[in-house]
Amino acid sequence: MCGWDRRTEEQEFIYTLPGTIGTVRIRKNGMYFLKKRRIVREFEQHPRLKEFRFSFGKIVKNPLSVTGLSLIFIFFLIAVFAPVISPPKYEQEPFRIPHEGYSVIPNPPGPGHPFGTTTKQYDIFYGVIWGTRTAFRIGFMVVGTILIIGIAVGSISGYFGGIVDEILMRVVDIFMSLPLFILAMAIVTALGRSLDNIMRSLIIVGWPIYARTIRSSILTIREEDFIKAAKALGSGTFKIILKHILPNAIYPALILASLDIGAMVLTAAALSFLGLGAQEGYADWGQMVSLARNYIVGPQGQPFLFWYVVTIPGLFILFFVLGWNLLGDALRDIFDPKLRRK
Amino acid sequence: MAEPGTTDSILDIENLKVNFYTYEGVVRAIDEISFGLANGETLGIVGETGCGKSVTVLSILNLILPPGKIEDGTILYHENDSPVNLVEQSDEFMRAIRGNEISMIFQEAGNALNPVLSINRQVSESFLLHRQEELCTLVLKNIEKNLQKKRWPGLLLRYQKAKYTGKLRKARGNNLQYGRYGRLLKRQATELSIKLLESLGIPNPSEVILRYPHELSGGMQQRVVISMALACNPSILIADEPTSNLDVTIQAQILTLIEELKDKYRSSILFITHDLGVVSEIANRVIVLYAGTLVEFARVRELFKKPLHPYTRALLRSVPTPGKNGRLESIRGNVPNLLNPPSGCRFHPRCPEAMEICTQQKPALYVRKDRDGEKHMVACFLYKE
Amino acid sequence: MNFLNYIIRRILLLVVVLIGVTLIIFAILTLFSPEQRASAFIKDIKQLSDINSIIKTYGLDRPVYVQYYNWIRQVLSGNFGWSTTVSRTVMEAFKFFLPNTVELALYSAPLIILVGIWLGTISAVHRDKPVDHFTRFLAIVGWSLPTFWFGLVLLMVFYGYFRGLFPPEILGYKAQAYVNSADFVRYTRMNTIDSLLNGKLWIFVDAVRHLVLPVITLTVIQIALVMRIMRSSMLEVMGKGYVLTARAKGASPKVVIKKHARRNALIPVVTVSGWLFAQLMAGVVITETIFNRKGLGWWWAHAATQLDIPAVLMAVLFNGVLFVVTNLVVDILYAYIDPRVRLG
Repeated sequence: MCGWDRRTEEQEFIYTLPGTIGTVRIRKNGMYFLKKRRIVREFEQHPRLKEFRFSFGKIVKNPLSVTGLSLIFIFFLIAVFAPVISPPKYEQEPFRIPHEGYSVIPNPPGPGHPFGTTTKQYDIFYGVIWGTRTAFRIGFMVVGTILIIGIAVGSISGYFGGIVDEILMRVVDIFMSLPLFILAMAIVTALGRSLDNIMRSLIIVGWPIYARTIRSSILTIREEDFIKAAKALGSGTFKIILKHILPNAIYPALILASLDIGAMVLTAAALSFLGLGAQEGYADWGQMVSLARNYIVGPQGQPFLFWYVVTIPGLFILFFVLGWNLLGDALRDIFDPKLRRK
Repeated sequence: MAEPGTTDSILDIENLKVNFYTYEGVVRAIDEISFGLANGETLGIVGETGCGKSVTVLSILNLILPPGKIEDGTILYHENDSPVNLVEQSDEFMRAIRGNEISMIFQEAGNALNPVLSINRQVSESFLLHRQEELCTLVLKNIEKNLQKKRWPGLLLRYQKAKYTGKLRKARGNNLQYGRYGRLLKRQATELSIKLLESLGIPNPSEVILRYPHELSGGMQQRVVISMALACNPSILIADEPTSNLDVTIQAQILTLIEELKDKYRSSILFITHDLGVVSEIANRVIVLYAGTLVEFARVRELFKKPLHPYTRALLRSVPTPGKNGRLESIRGNVPNLLNPPSGCRFHPRCPEAMEICTQQKPALYVRKDRDGEKHMVACFLYKE
Repeated sequence: MNFLNYIIRRILLLVVVLIGVTLIIFAILTLFSPEQRASAFIKDIKQLSDINSIIKTYGLDRPVYVQYYNWIRQVLSGNFGWSTTVSRTVMEAFKFFLPNTVELALYSAPLIILVGIWLGTISAVHRDKPVDHFTRFLAIVGWSLPTFWFGLVLLMVFYGYFRGLFPPEILGYKAQAYVNSADFVRYTRMNTIDSLLNGKLWIFVDAVRHLVLPVITLTVIQIALVMRIMRSSMLEVMGKGYVLTARAKGASPKVVIKKHARRNALIPVVTVSGWLFAQLMAGVVITETIFNRKGLGWWWAHAATQLDIPAVLMAVLFNGVLFVVTNLVVDILYAYIDPRVRLG
């Protein structure tokens, strides 16, 4: 925190708490002295802290981001308390949805089955509650991994340039010339259907865009004057990367990541829906919608008879992804330097 | 020489107050500035970056966007019979004035030009917005000429004549809605633009006009921008640091050009700059702004010879003068944050001659007479009688 | 002249990337075991026992680079293999399914782009006012919708509840029968166009009715993408110097937006449009599956679940080529709009 000395009305950037004795720079007779003075109050804050508080203020004031965060928080609670909300029937395999019987026709919500049952009598309530855990798992693991890979590749490429950069970027180009979904579909087909393979294929397919984003951020920042100043002052290469470049370069990637969590969950759900994901009876939202395929429209005169099999899992997916998208979109707006101070 | 409020002034600004309502609070950007622009003179506006020069002139044309707002004050424009308060006028009224009677040129010519439109489209736009009547007349004249020469089939020409006569009667400006009249009007505007570029000293105007802004050099870009502003013979030209981004030789050329054009078009000029050298060359009178307030107002020779306000004095002392040795003095302290401006006179925290009253009240503009009997005004309690 | 150079350079880059794409496809190919790949050449069950000789014949046990070479030769001669799910060669199947997918994309793409641009402009011009917040919220919700779920819900409502107002599949019973008969001449094999060319308005209406839900499913989700880009691009442009100059010239707000701002703001949107096509293809897979429209997407989805390898590989190859070519077109368009790009 910065101190302010009442006597001389000088302020200076020093790091001490108000009320303590700190060092102030004082001008006297045209010369500068360092004197110990009791710091009366905070005059201004360290710029980075101030920026952080500014951002934080914007986040909590923006209705979109608040809604997003609330949604995510609700899902987080559901995931954490899943064993309490919906105790697993099979102790060793909590993700197996219990089913009583094999009847194909779904049953509407009723006692014992708050959301009803879907084809083959899988309990929908259980499925969507534990499916929340699956969703978080998919989102965090996939996005976490591609973030790390992307930062690593992008940093190397961006900072060192030259032939390394060229090769890596060609590889990125090649990956990015294939639509994510189709490529993921192909890889899952090759590896065999399972939820883990979906995650693997998403990782293989998803990292290039992070590499490119980080790389372009680094390229921009590398040329900025403050980096040159740091170099002129003698900072070492590694220190420059860590202290100056990365903190600035990482923002676009983080925003991308928050949006990607939703996108990855959606893609995984779509692949599961097609039948490429978890086996039948696994607590996964996409899988559950897939079970509903034959029961979308009810018999003549009762079209909405089986609404719960399709609607409920879908709504869970929708709100989960919506939460992350709202947050990511709001963050994007907040951290966009051009739109920031309006 | 004229002073504000007399019949010879073309623009009178009184007690202009502009605030910006930002996230961090209310920025009091302009605090009761008053000055006048005399007919035919060049008025220099000098000050540090951030002191409010641009905001002042943008208010004249009512181009301040939210979160900024003109809180108070009047801006009287005297060109027509009765003076008009520009602050109160509707946007439609202002649009007829902007680019037409009062024009503005900006600092970075490169940024002022639209990169995806050709020079032709941008310069012609000025003509098409405000001088449609004249364009119609010219087109009709052309048609008459062609009719006499019998170059084109008579029927076609008669049809065109009827068309454009009708258009002449209901010429509308500002929205570029000229529908089917477009072709010939645009062609005429292009011709006028070429002539205009030529008069501004641009070589090969008919070639240049087909180019795009990024293909021109900085000096040429600025000439194009100036031509866009002068297309409709404005009575007031506002130049917001037009030469600050050019190198010195080009700067000299542009300044000469502006002076020539001023004589030719008989406009008055408001010239903003932070460069005292430029001001001394081009201005008749000068106002000095500091932190959103007017601190001094005098003829240019007088200001340089005998600066009254402590800020002006300090400013002049910080500029290198050939032949003079010794240290350059900087003004101690920083430009104040206008979220929370200093009380009373805004310069008092940095003023070497500050008095008790300076922290309490805002000084009015006190009038002194200079050697030739002309007014020399300064906002400082040191000069209160 | 510079424009030409630019195009040539981009085409060369395209070739490099295409080669890379084939490498990736081949890499995926090698993930399958030789038996699985041999099964791609089997036309009937009896050949299963002979699988080792098939492996030998097609050189599936040879070193990788040899296989790659062979495979490239195959591909270049148009032989993509046999698609077991639809019982015809991949090439034939492709030709058969293409028109339906093109029809779907044809009506979706312009809708997405035009509505997206329109909403984005409105949002930017009325920034932070209720219109802006509302539009953005809708767009984000649209972007968060799972394609498959949204389509199913639409079906439930508009087909189930509204008694078959907008049915799935491509044509109704009667129309399909007529189209298959000898009286109907197929020019493009796209029902909307052909029906008009044949002068049969009722088939046209029928085809459109069947198109409504799939098109809505596809577009609602993608509009957010275009709208967001347009909005931020527009906001950036509106703060630029030339916009202020235009206003200082006395141009009306409409002219400022239309003539000056929008054109510059559209540049990033053009770039995104290229990407849009790739997204569209992905959406098509799901949409065609849900609505049971037999097009490329439907075929690929089935191929993936049934392990029909040639078809899946074809999907990757086609999409790769499509994406790369689309980007090339986008880049050329971009150079056309923005004269600064031509100087390279």
